[in-house]
This record gives sequence, C-alpha cells and structure tokens, in this order.
Amino acid sequence: MERKNFLKSLMIGAVSTSVLVEACKKDSTVTPTTTTTTTTDTTTGSSSSSGCSVIETETEGPYPTHSPASYVRSDITSDRTGYKMTVNITVNNSNNSCNALSGALVDIWHCDAEGNYSEYGGSGTQSTNYTSVHFLRGRQTTNSSGLVTFTSIFPGWYTGRATHIHVHIYNSAGTSLKVTQIAFPEGTGTALAAVAGYTKGLSGYTYNATDGVFSDGYTLELATVTGSTTAGFVLAISMSVPA
Amino acid sequence: MDTRVITLCYRKIIDINSAKHWDKLVFESSYMEFKMQAQNYSHGTAFTSYADLLKHVPNAQRLVGMVTPAITGYLQQLNGIVPDLLNNVGKRFLKFNKFQFEIISSDICDQARHQVAVNFYTDTLVWHDTIADFLLLADYRPEAATDDEALSNLFKLPPYVNIHSLKKL
Repeated sequence: MERKNFLKSLMIGAVSTSVLVEACKKDSTVTPTTTTTTTTDTTTGSSSSSGCSVIETETEGPYPTHSPASYVRSDITSDRTGYKMTVNITVNNSNNSCNALSGALVDIWHCDAEGNYSEYGGSGTQSTNYTSVHFLRGRQTTNSSGLVTFTSIFPGWYTGRATHIHVHIYNSAGTSLKVTQIAFPEGTGTALAAVAGYTKGLSGYTYNATDGVFSDGYTLELATVTGSTTAGFVLAISMSVPA
Repeated sequence: MDTRVITLCYRKIIDINSAKHWDKLVFESSYMEFKMQAQNYSHGTAFTSYADLLKHVPNAQRLVGMVTPAITGYLQQLNGIVPDLLNNVGKRFLKFNKFQFEIISSDICDQARHQVAVNFYTDTLVWHDTIADFLLLADYRPEAATDDEALSNLFKLPPYVNIHSLKKL
C-alpha cells in the first residue's frame, strides 16, 4: 500500500516534469544518435571502428522494475540499539483549511543512542548488498489522514543540541514544503528523563530553552511522547505545511 | 609471459537521452532523489545546479552519497552482471559487486541537465593473452589447481571501459 502510494507519487512527479522534458526535446532531436535504433540491448561495448556492433544473442533477462530508494521503509532502526519508539507524524495543509495532506513524502533522520548520525555512502565504491549504511533515516508517504509512521529508537544526544528529529516534507513531485525539527518534552516523568541520555547521562545536556534551534520558540515543534523504557515510546506530532 | 590479473571499470553514462529501460529507471529515480536531497542544501540560496551547490554550499559534496540509495535497488536487479558489455559471442559475462555512483551534472529545476554515471568495477580477471583486438579473459580463481580447465572469454575493450587495476603474478 505504502509502496503503491510511493509509486503513484513518482508517476505524478513524472507528469509534472514532462513540460521540461518536452521543452528539451527540441534540442535533443537535432542530434541523431546511433544507439537509438535498437530497442533491446544496444551496447556501447561492442561498437567497432567500422561502426557496426556485435548483436546480442540472449534476452535481456529479468525485466527491470521500478525500485524505490532504500530510504523508503517504515522501520528505520537497522542495526542500532535503544529503547523502541514509534513515530507518528500527521501532516496537514495550511493552504487547504488545515485538512490532511495525503501523498506527501516525509523524510526523517536522527542520531543513535550515542549521538551519532549515519554517514552516507560517500563517493567511494560501494557493495551492492549494503543495507545498514543509512541507519535511522527513512521516508514514508502520508496516507489519506496525512499520517506517516516510523519504527525507530529514542534518539540520543550530542553536545550543543537538545534531543531532536529532523523532518523534511515534500509534495509528491519532490518539491520541498518544509524543513523542520521535532523537539522533545522535558522534565520529571517525561520520556527524556526516563531514557536519561542512555549510558551518557544528561550531564552537559542542552535543554530546549538554550538550544540554538529551539530557543526562539518550539511550541509547534514539540511532540507528545508517551510510554516507557520497557513498553517502548510513542511519539506523536501534527504539523501544518503550505502545500 | 607473466600472468596478469586485472579488474575492469565500465563507466556507464546515463542522461535524458538514454533509451534502455534500466537506464531510464536509474535516470528518473536518481533525478527525483537529487531534487529532493539537493533542496537540503539549496535552501535559502538561489543555487539550483549541482555545480553551483558544490562550489558555494558547504557539504554539498555529500549529495552523491545521499542520492546513491535511490539506485541501489536497480544495481541489485542486475544480479552481479555488468550490463552492456558483451563477449565475442554477444553475451554479458563480466561480474561485479562494487560500483560507484557519480553525478556529472544536474539541476533542481531542469531534469534535462541531469547526467549521472554508474561505474562498475569487475571482479578480478586473469588476462591470459591478447588475440588480435581481443583480450582473452578468465575469472581469477587462485584456489584452482594450475592444470584445471578455465572457462574464458574474448573481449574487445570499448570506449568507457578502462583496465582499472593490474597485478603481475
């Protein structure tokens, strides 16, 4: 279902960008290429100096199918350990009477229990079977209620920042609607106090009031977090974005 | 003659004119991801092209790593066989398990400027001989006995294929 939505959203993306593609066709038709004559597997590989190519004698094999980015997953835990946390983000449209925004792409990312972010693969060579490189990063598409759900762990913290989750919301064509962060409630009885910074403790912790990002006000960015370290936590937040 | 052990690198360039189905999927998915991730860097600037982001925005070089997960699924669909490159009887035969994705150019506002490359690094091959224009290649199997028969392939180096590494045994 989520995958279907995602596929649908990509198709919408393709339609909305087709104007650009159309506009560029004027240029591209000027240069006829020798490789466009074949519909199956042309090869740059075997073209010879005489301009002819060795024909392929086997079928193309499994037909390639659309494959979503590996960010598209609901459980973003990968190999990280920590207290389980379900993240429910509801998105509504401030340009449409605050009605639910469906079909929006929601990216989230946060640090692990030690306060480290996953590194991106970088520019070096990569193995095709890598999967855990982007731990604690994920993407979901909002349903008809504007809701996305992720399974993750309660984030740790690092020097200079209060505990937070990064959120980037896009429309279905991939155009950015909002970049924001989720703040956590503080004080006695909160999840933050229960987790207590994991093994690091909370000595030197930066609270929301002095956090460089949240100190200018964070009421709209403040989530509700319920649960316990044994049962796991549930984070809920609703955000309005102009779509 | 010394036995030479080599790896090949095939730099497969994909752009808006790419006609094959796999290439088009990689083009569309990598562009969508580029557009999405690049907005993390273009935010608050007037820059839309990859070149401008690289030049002016700190950490924009991370974009290539951020876009790579958009195409990993397509790499896996190749089942470890390098596309396009054929032996002299017209079959794909080169195995790979390492690749490097590359963004050559792109623009958040113009899909037509999106051009990427996938560099395929082959498994290790023994370059037994050169016959006319062809390399006589076989999989490198150090564990095999020297008198074992090795299956081999005749392969002519086309453009965009490089001998990436070489070792004499």
